[in-house]
Amino acid sequence: MTPTLLPQPATHTAGHHDTPLTPDWAEIVAITPEADGIATLWLKFTDPQVEQQYHFQPGQFNMLYVPGVGEAAISMSSDPDDERRLVGHTVRFVGNVTRAIGRLKIGDQLGVRGPFGTAWPMKTVEGRDLVVACGGIGLPPLRPALYHVVRNRERYGKVTLLYGARTSKDLLYPGEYEAWRKADITVEATVDRGDEHWDGRVGVVPMWFYNFRLDPRNTIVLTCGPEIMIRFVIYEALARRVPTDRIYVSLERNMKCGQGSCGHCQMGPYFVCKDGPVFPFSALAKYINVEEY
Amino acid sequence: MADRELIALLKKIPWFESLSQEYLERMVGIAVLRQVRAGEALFREGDKEDYLYVVLEGRIALEIFVPHKGKVRINTCEQHEVFGWSSVTPVVHQRTAGATAVIDSTVVGLDAEKLRQLCDEDHDLGYRVMRRLANVVASRLLVTRLQLLDMFADPEEMKNA
Repeated sequence: MTPTLLPQPATHTAGHHDTPLTPDWAEIVAITPEADGIATLWLKFTDPQVEQQYHFQPGQFNMLYVPGVGEAAISMSSDPDDERRLVGHTVRFVGNVTRAIGRLKIGDQLGVRGPFGTAWPMKTVEGRDLVVACGGIGLPPLRPALYHVVRNRERYGKVTLLYGARTSKDLLYPGEYEAWRKADITVEATVDRGDEHWDGRVGVVPMWFYNFRLDPRNTIVLTCGPEIMIRFVIYEALARRVPTDRIYVSLERNMKCGQGSCGHCQMGPYFVCKDGPVFPFSALAKYINVEEY
Repeated sequence: MADRELIALLKKIPWFESLSQEYLERMVGIAVLRQVRAGEALFREGDKEDYLYVVLEGRIALEIFVPHKGKVRINTCEQHEVFGWSSVTPVVHQRTAGATAVIDSTVVGLDAEKLRQLCDEDHDLGYRVMRRLANVVASRLLVTRLQLLDMFADPEEMKNA
């Protein structure tokens, strides 16, 4: 039996190792509008020592804190090896905290705790073909993994990005697809609703699996997005005999403490903030399709 | 195109996989190749159902005309995907959606009436064809369901994030 490829353990590399509930402070140095109600905030830690120490792995998240409002768990969406040492978070402004984040301007400060959680197993999956299947705001947690692939292209086999959004206007980072293609990544985008400005595919991400052949013995699937989409991506991967321990899922839950203490994000025996957000599907199979979870 | 070349082409299409040489030859006997330029309509909503199509190359959009909205693109079919499946069903007699090439495309069309006849005459072939069509219908239904679910709408759970 193939051994389960477990994600990397959580590591905390920012300033407050002993007091993980205390935030560090970071200034918003740039804001990139990405789509309607979605923008990337580029953060620079105000404490140079924290800035120097901070490092995250693709797939991990930070707790972003707006004083007087609260915290929200947001995955990092930037290059972990960004020479400017800026940390990017692509935020969808839909809740109380994220809407407050959306009202911040360049020069404002945010509290940052993290990085938290497990990472995409980029080291473990070297030498494999990768299928990155994501939808909507599920691309940002995978973008650092794509940057990692681009930087280390020779370490991976065929890499395919399948990305879906509601409309063409909702596709994130369209300006980067060409650079990814140049790095020999197959980039396929699809939208739920087509219009006259879109000559690409209209349909849903799981159906892309019908349009290419994957080698189940050598393929790793990384998926993130709406849970209903994840479920069908998993069905399609399993139908093509990809083993459950080679399908990695990033889950979104109501993360609060980020360290597995408060229980808000519990799913079965797991705390998504600590044991996840990235899980091999083999660990989740009992829980992911159960209504209560 | 010679029959032999067309058979070689069909063999590459998953929909025709594992069909015997004899069945492939029968398919070729009712097949036509069509090239459509970007923007050109292959058929329109309301047209008589005449062919079942498979995309050889390109991208075909399925569109429904909605008053005050114009043509709404509900789906696209990529290389080796089947469309126009309802032409083979016994009940539907006119196109329920139009098909337009998004980019220059080549499709192979199977004469729907003749295909139904072949299926009636040889139930083994008929079973194979209908089984494949059932897969097409199931996948089209799944796409429609997922689109209806509007997966990318604001998730309820994030409202208080």
